[in-house]
Amino acid sequence: MESGIFHTTYESDMALRRTPLMRLRLILVIAAALIFPFLANGYQLTLANQIGITAIGAIGLNILTGFTGQISLGQGAFMAVGAYSSGLLAARLGMPWWLTLPFSCIITAVVGAIFGIPSLRLKGLYLAIATLAAQQIIEWLITHWTVLTGGVEALVVPTPTLFGIRMNDDFNFYWIMLLLLSATTLFAVNLFRTKIGRAFIAIRDQDIAAEVMGVNTFQYKLLAFATSSFFVGLSGALVAQYRNIVNYERFTIETSILYLAVIIIGGLGSVSGSIYGSVFMVLLPAILTNLGRALGGVIPGMSRLIPFIQQGVFGITIILFLIFEPEGLAKIWRDIKDYFRLWPFSY
Amino acid sequence: MLNKSPKRLWLFMLLALAGVLALSACGGGGGGEAVKVGAIFDLTGPTSDVGTPYADGVRDYVAWVNENGGIEGRQIELVSADYSYKVDQAEQLYSQYTTQDNVVAFQGWGTGDTEALRGRIAADQIPFMSASYSATLGNPEEAPYNFLVGTTYSDQFIIAIQWAIENSSDGSPVIALLHHDSPFGLSPLEDGRAYAEANGATVIDIAMPGGATDFTAELTQVQDAGAEFIVIQNVSSPAATLVKDVKRLGLDVQVICLNWCTDELFVSLAGDAAEGVIGASPFAFPSSDAPALKDIRAYAESKGKNVDELGVHYVQGWTTMAVMAEGIREVIKNGQEVTGPNIKAALESMSNFDTGGITAPLTFTPTDHAGNKALKLVQVSNGQWVEMTDYIQASK
Repeated sequence: MESGIFHTTYESDMALRRTPLMRLRLILVIAAALIFPFLANGYQLTLANQIGITAIGAIGLNILTGFTGQISLGQGAFMAVGAYSSGLLAARLGMPWWLTLPFSCIITAVVGAIFGIPSLRLKGLYLAIATLAAQQIIEWLITHWTVLTGGVEALVVPTPTLFGIRMNDDFNFYWIMLLLLSATTLFAVNLFRTKIGRAFIAIRDQDIAAEVMGVNTFQYKLLAFATSSFFVGLSGALVAQYRNIVNYERFTIETSILYLAVIIIGGLGSVSGSIYGSVFMVLLPAILTNLGRALGGVIPGMSRLIPFIQQGVFGITIILFLIFEPEGLAKIWRDIKDYFRLWPFSY
Repeated sequence: MLNKSPKRLWLFMLLALAGVLALSACGGGGGGEAVKVGAIFDLTGPTSDVGTPYADGVRDYVAWVNENGGIEGRQIELVSADYSYKVDQAEQLYSQYTTQDNVVAFQGWGTGDTEALRGRIAADQIPFMSASYSATLGNPEEAPYNFLVGTTYSDQFIIAIQWAIENSSDGSPVIALLHHDSPFGLSPLEDGRAYAEANGATVIDIAMPGGATDFTAELTQVQDAGAEFIVIQNVSSPAATLVKDVKRLGLDVQVICLNWCTDELFVSLAGDAAEGVIGASPFAFPSSDAPALKDIRAYAESKGKNVDELGVHYVQGWTTMAVMAEGIREVIKNGQEVTGPNIKAALESMSNFDTGGITAPLTFTPTDHAGNKALKLVQVSNGQWVEMTDYIQASK
């Protein structure tokens, strides 16, 4: 029987996986992720790939919004920068797809840092509006800079291949996604154990106090924008390579808001929360659609109403989540763990 | 008891996954003889006003065929769902229908999903039809599995320009294209402009900002350019606002709508201002005398529906599905296996196919998937779209 986790050394307190149980769980998660594609069909792999791409983007946004406290409505536009960079480099310059990924991440990081400049003077809702401007400006540039982007026409990206194997079918792409998601997660989790990550959190919690303590707020805010955009760009580039086609309509303000919803539901300031949120937001509509399909045959006359019920349920679920657990799925997961750890004598 | 906690989430996720699996599994099954066709509709999203009657048309055609013995004795099983015009959801549903339900053909809807799926359908060899009529989709080199039942936006615009040149005061009119600021809106511009320049007319293009409630600024530009004609490539609601402003400002221009504002909704929204507006509709209105409407009307009435209320988009959905079914019929008739590539080949051999007067005769070839090259212009008269010309061919 234990009453909590108590550390006796700084090493154990700072460790990422602090208990044997956590290490066991990590091994289980990795094993499940490795076995999954061999058991799943194309549809489930599509869902998994969508979850992975969403999770990379959500981790990126969470670094900025959840950890550094800089709200961003420009997520969709930054994803578009990543997608178009990757697509254009591959389509126009004939660069191999895997080489376009780091380039598009860096390009997006630079663009993100530029649009992060207003964050020196702007906070909260004002910054939200400034990033909304970024969304609009980038969208406008993409649709009107026809020579570069092809304008409103969809940009066809050459099929990514490796040693002659098509990499963007659901099965092969899963491995690319898994590798990059693992790398992103590992980086983000460790980022917040470093000086830079701590500085981000200090800015979020109280920017004036952070500055007094010697954190160069402007520099770190820009760094947060760049780091965040790096991963958001990766997520955009993956969309481009996975789908072979880039169209700006995929990266509108709706996408920005969807990603904010993902990290709010998953848990602001939580890397694992970003992943839980992505799982939730991708699977919920899929589950509702399949439920609707199953019920459509059972209750005659219902089938016409089902799409509307789905939309309603989707909204209600999100509202209920926010009411009952504003800290998101990451907190729910923590509560469940604590409940069982202290069972039966919780206090 | 320590071991319980990490498994909890996995248990939940496994249950959720099992739920998805179980539910999707019971959707399948059934007789192996039915031909499976996938479809996605917008019933709740931004284009649901026109997406709903279109979806009804597709579904009702399938129900009608099945009630009348199916295609050469085989039933069509339509697997469909609402996707709210969300591209991610369209991809999920497409992936589910092709990998779990093994559909052989697919009915899409808008520009967003059609463009996003273009690469996948080519790789998966799934013939695809939708209500997006961009000219690029009719080029098999770019989109080998897309087929267009409606006249392309480019051809619609060219037909409008042809008519404008014939009916202008001096034979070299200025034509303003007022368009939705999107791929959909700009799609006809380039081809239309090239045609106009070759024939002495001038095309200016003005974007209609989304959500605008007043188009005075745009119409001032039209007036300054001395345009005699306005062509609208937009959906009904902004188009109706525009023609109301035209009337309010007393502009002396002839408005021509391309197909997405040539519908009953436009007339009811624009009211008096719609009078005299010309429309380029690839599909016959329910009020026309197209022979195929007899079947459509009879079926709808047997289900207690009124085709006149369902409108032109219902006819459009019905006919699009009918053309796809015709391709499937050819394959079955030839004793071939019903697969994507076979349906594609059958459609490509279709020459001057008569849709019962709903559209101009359709001809698909291996090098051209824009099967419909002509349309009739219609005009609003006493609140009704009335046929005003015979079929006009888009000249190249």
